[in-house]
Amino acid sequence: MTAATPSVRDPRDPSDSGRPQAPGTGRTRPDARDEGRATAGRRDTREARDTREARDTRPDGDGPTRRHASTGRPAAARATALFSHRAARKLLPLAVAAALLVPLALAFPGAGSWPAQLAVDLSGPLGRAGDWIIDHRDSHPLFLYFFGHVSNAVVICVRAVYTVLLAAGWLGVTALAGLVAWRLAGIRLALTCVAAFAACGLLGMWVPTMQTLALMAVAVTAAVAVGALLGLAAGLSPRTDRALRPVLDTMQVLPAFAYLLPMVLVFGIGVPAAVLATVVYAAPPMARLTALGLRDADAGVLEASASLGATGRQRLFSARLPLARRQLLLGVNQAIMTGLSMAVIASVIGAGGLGDRVYQALASVDVGAALAAGIPIVLLAVVLDRTADAAGNRLGATPDPAREKHLLRRVFGGWYGRLLTVLAAVAAAVAGRIADTSLWPESWTVPIAEPVNRAVAWMTAHLYSGVPVVGGTADWSARFTGWVLDPLRTGLQAAPWWTLLLLAGAVALLVGTWRTALTAVLALAAIGVLGVWEPSLDTLSQVLAAVAVTLVLGFAIAVGAARSARAQRLLRPVLDVCQTMPQFVYLIPVVALFGVGRAPAAAAAVVYALPAVVRITTQGLSEVNPAAMEAARSLGATRSQQLWQVQLPLARPALLLAVNQAVVLVLAVVIIGGLVGGGALGYDVVLGLAQGDLATGLVAGAAIVCLGLLLDRVTQPAKEA
Amino acid sequence: MPARPPRTVRPPRTNRRRRLAAALAATTGLAVLSACGAADMTRQSSPYAAAQGAKTVTLSVQSWVGAQANTAVASYLLEHELGYRVDTVQVDEVPAWDALSQGRVDAILEDWGHPEQEDRYVKGKKTITPGGDLGVTGHIGWFVPTYFAEEHPDVTDWKNLDKYADQMRTPESRGKGQLMDGSPSYVTNDKALVKNLDLDYEVVFAGSEAAQITQIKQFAKERKPFLTYWYTPQWLFERVPMTEVKLPEYKEGCDADPEKVACAYPHTPLQKYLNTRFSESGGKAAAFLKKFHWGVEEQNEVSLMIAEEKLPPEQAAKKWVENNREVWEPWVR
Amino acid sequence: MTHDVNAMTHDPAAPEAADTPVFSVGGLWKVFGPKAAAAKVPGSEHAELAPAALREATGCTAAVRDVSFDVRKGEVFVVMGLSGSGKSTLVRCLTRLIEPTAGTLSIDGEDVLAMDAARLRELRRHRAAMVFQHFGLLPHRTVLDNVAYGLEIQGVSRAERRAKAAEMVAKVGLDGLEDRRPGQLSGGQQQRVGLARALAADPEVLLFDEPFSALDPLIRREMQDEVARLHHDEGRTMVFITHDLAEALRLGDRIALMRDGRIVQLGTPEEIVGSPADDYVREFVRDVPREQVLTVRSAMRPAAPGEADQGPALAPATTVVEAIEAVARSGGPARVVDRGRCLGVVDDAALLAVVAGLPAPAAREVAA
Repeated sequence: MTAATPSVRDPRDPSDSGRPQAPGTGRTRPDARDEGRATAGRRDTREARDTREARDTRPDGDGPTRRHASTGRPAAARATALFSHRAARKLLPLAVAAALLVPLALAFPGAGSWPAQLAVDLSGPLGRAGDWIIDHRDSHPLFLYFFGHVSNAVVICVRAVYTVLLAAGWLGVTALAGLVAWRLAGIRLALTCVAAFAACGLLGMWVPTMQTLALMAVAVTAAVAVGALLGLAAGLSPRTDRALRPVLDTMQVLPAFAYLLPMVLVFGIGVPAAVLATVVYAAPPMARLTALGLRDADAGVLEASASLGATGRQRLFSARLPLARRQLLLGVNQAIMTGLSMAVIASVIGAGGLGDRVYQALASVDVGAALAAGIPIVLLAVVLDRTADAAGNRLGATPDPAREKHLLRRVFGGWYGRLLTVLAAVAAAVAGRIADTSLWPESWTVPIAEPVNRAVAWMTAHLYSGVPVVGGTADWSARFTGWVLDPLRTGLQAAPWWTLLLLAGAVALLVGTWRTALTAVLALAAIGVLGVWEPSLDTLSQVLAAVAVTLVLGFAIAVGAARSARAQRLLRPVLDVCQTMPQFVYLIPVVALFGVGRAPAAAAAVVYALPAVVRITTQGLSEVNPAAMEAARSLGATRSQQLWQVQLPLARPALLLAVNQAVVLVLAVVIIGGLVGGGALGYDVVLGLAQGDLATGLVAGAAIVCLGLLLDRVTQPAKEA
Repeated sequence: MPARPPRTVRPPRTNRRRRLAAALAATTGLAVLSACGAADMTRQSSPYAAAQGAKTVTLSVQSWVGAQANTAVASYLLEHELGYRVDTVQVDEVPAWDALSQGRVDAILEDWGHPEQEDRYVKGKKTITPGGDLGVTGHIGWFVPTYFAEEHPDVTDWKNLDKYADQMRTPESRGKGQLMDGSPSYVTNDKALVKNLDLDYEVVFAGSEAAQITQIKQFAKERKPFLTYWYTPQWLFERVPMTEVKLPEYKEGCDADPEKVACAYPHTPLQKYLNTRFSESGGKAAAFLKKFHWGVEEQNEVSLMIAEEKLPPEQAAKKWVENNREVWEPWVR
Repeated sequence: MTHDVNAMTHDPAAPEAADTPVFSVGGLWKVFGPKAAAAKVPGSEHAELAPAALREATGCTAAVRDVSFDVRKGEVFVVMGLSGSGKSTLVRCLTRLIEPTAGTLSIDGEDVLAMDAARLRELRRHRAAMVFQHFGLLPHRTVLDNVAYGLEIQGVSRAERRAKAAEMVAKVGLDGLEDRRPGQLSGGQQQRVGLARALAADPEVLLFDEPFSALDPLIRREMQDEVARLHHDEGRTMVFITHDLAEALRLGDRIALMRDGRIVQLGTPEEIVGSPADDYVREFVRDVPREQVLTVRSAMRPAAPGEADQGPALAPATTVVEAIEAVARSGGPARVVDRGRCLGVVDDAALLAVVAGLPAPAAREVAA
């Protein structure tokens, strides 16, 4: 999904570069992950896929020919075939590992839980570290001369942007946004843009919207700069790439909540911490996409450039970077979307703006007010996304030769247009000034809080319990907790710890490689060592249950939607809204419907993860090779036969990706579920933030990282070793 | 072959390198220059503050509605009577102390007692100055709904709680009775209490006050029994009447060791705290906030408007201010 | 454009006039694999192994094995072979786009392998330009800017390089398309852009890496004519890689036929078709219409007395198919005349023998 989790990941194939390949085995397996992650972000990186080919070495001299010849469907079938006999072979060493682990297990008898002897209690040192930071924040040189300046710079930048936005007034800002959108994408987007900003004003959220915009502008700019630099390093040097990749991978699966505590500790509550948390959260997708774009730049063009005698730098600036421009723009887009979602979550640490309004509304259980602040966020997201999208398309588009005929006209046309845009915006701002309406006029606001609250009240009143036949939501919640969550949690917590390690290893091994298995087992072991075994398993049980529900619902919806383009069109705005609406907004109605506890956390997670699953699956299903479908139809296959025998198997990479996304997204929300009684790790993080308790918060955060890694690794689509 | 035309050649590489070096040096120089001065980030205000040159006060809003009521009324008066611009930031209690010490927040209007923070900031660093009583006395306790207490009067003694554990059971309470706690940021000894009083109950954290209130209202609508951690003054009592369960009596120092607590919560006179610098140089605003003092009924009146009538805090404050001139007039004088 | 293939065959009979060869390649190796292991392969006992065996033994793949040849000034030197034969690697070794593993390589007598980075760039900028199978055009630039790209890299000023580029665009027949992007052009047009880009630098040698393989047959034909015309007009040295025998025969002054990294035969089209070095080559050229490649030189027999001064006169480079026409018209044998001297005669029997693929003993006698 776009908003909360960066959606692009490049293939992490350790044997990617440097090694020669035997002629005839040009490895061109289109990386499902690559494409799927990007499609999750509603983009197409097919070009990237096509150019994926080892290019440093070309043993047979005919690489380019083969590159095009063998870029076909993913080798799903081949993989399955490989899989079955490899599985048996791979599990053999695992048995050996089991033989080694069992004596260890016997050495620490007792219940299933992680043995206390193997755990490390970090609360002492962490608590002291936290105290030290707070005590020395105003005296230690590190803070005075480094963090202090960072913090200062952030404050100055945000203030500058904010002042400009306020000075431009609502007329100026709206006009500028509309004009920019118009120049980039045409009149339709321009109108959408103006409508969106007007809506922000109408909802009485003008000032918070500007605050969020200011914060976003600074954070996203910084994130893009940092990400681009990292991506540049990784894209140009395979060694840096290898070093950076695990870090980026890890940051990708980290729930936003886990970033907050360290930032608060260093910078204190407030805008600097919020901006930096946003930067840290939004930079990885940019870095990843930059690296991907640079690495996947058309080898032929680069070679041509080299053959003309270009220096390394000339090659970078004239060929490599321009070739990667689509990915770069996609990266900027992703950075914006992740930044926006983080800017909301960061309200917990004093980001202010729209997020803060949502957060404050929640405190008084005011869904209506929360929605009033949530809608501008969705609108901002939609407008920014579409504009960036349009900019990307414009870059890729072929210009109209007639219009570009004359050199002079082209240059001046561009400058002239830009100048006009700015002038018009300034004129609007001045007009606003003269009319003395720099802030949105208060009389023009439309209160939506009350009707929304009435609707929510009606909904909870009528659905909570006593609904005939199906029972109320409270009953569902109780049943889900009693029949699914409880047995799962009890089972996980009762299972001896070493069997869980083995299980994680086995699953990861079946799905991926030795490396995957090792990461998974180490991550799980780290959770034990950190001393949060039980709460982590509790969280895990919630994640598993929610993922199961998400997948069942998501696949069902997607199978339905994939059949008709109309259904997909209708679904798209719904999915957009679900993905960009801050999770905070629907926590409260969920509590009203499902009560306090783990069930509402799981429900919120399902709502949040569903759109991504539906989107990826629908796309996977509708992109199934039409020839295969036609063949099936010509053989007289029924619709269900087509679905089960052709569509689903062929869409396997997309389905696997959907599972992976579901897991990552569900984890993110289950953590936030700590706010509605989800307990476990989420509660620990909330507690850590609320009490400034580094020991609890940081340990829980680390456990979440491990859990995220574990879940990500065991759901990663199989890769050839 | 035709002769090669003369070419304008770019400056050679060394030249470019030199330029790069110069740029680097300039950047470093700038960095060093700016780093010459120490930057104390504990003395930074919010970037949104004073954006248009106005005198600005930043107030911390805690997540419970009572605190919102304080802030709303104080903001309204500061803005409309004293001509300040007010920013509010919602922060949890402990981080709010930190923010107050840094000066990112100028005042906390309702504090329920954080001895550790008081030691650190008020006595140690002296960055925070007490701002006097708010006028409201807070009390934390365990509550059951009054409709249930009326049917079963003996439930109001903790000794009889186990008898009702069955009725208080929920899917989350692991087969025991449920004692619902709220936000993890609130002051609570409940886990220790349940253990030390040997009760057949499980503490379930709602995770946030919003979730807890929603759940309580839902229970009340169904007229189901429940046991919850709650506190007064709180507007929810007006909607869901609740009766306190008697716990072993509070004695000075009985809650000294958090592990061994086995007594009720104390009655706390709620406190205001101001950033020291603001307190000294905050002019009228600081003086006003020090004088801000009201009672339980007044606070609840505003809270109720905010939480139940869903009035925006400013409007609730406006309404209250219009009707209670005699109460607030002394504060602004 | 109707072009006589022979017209471009710059009398190979007088090559001795040429001084130093443009490219001189000696014992060149390119072995892919771990660097240390690869470096050991040339000259070792593994050098003679078949590809599969070599990979088994060392983990390396030899793409170019012990290749030696000279490219003479002004000629079109074709390297031809099936895919995987190492020809594309070989051409990249010439400008060190791929670093050779062993051997010697010089351009105009200067050692290429000893060049430092700056000198090598100089070589690539001014002396050898390459045209690629997949064009390698910058998709975000216009045709004109693509053509000017090489000059831009050289640091030529904007106005100058655009003027030069416009000239090149006209030369390859793309007038009016200057402001299009590569994506808007057909494959043939794109390759014209690639060609113009290479020409813009005014290089001494043009290297073509299977430039027309990706094009439709008709367009390919057209492009071949274009190259032939360019060569005819400017006499620029060209190294041309192809897997298409017809193309090789059509364009090449000399052809090096590669298999598994080695050159199995190097010679004029006529030599390759007329006297294949081994069965592989023979199999390769089996379907070639010999009468269109072989010349009367290889079909003639010594003139019988009296034949030397009658009948139509033919140049030695005349193809058999043309000779048949002449012979059929005159009804009698035709003379092969070079600079006024009669080398021999061709009659219908000899010409038919060529068409039928029979050995021409008479020719051999002449050669002997």
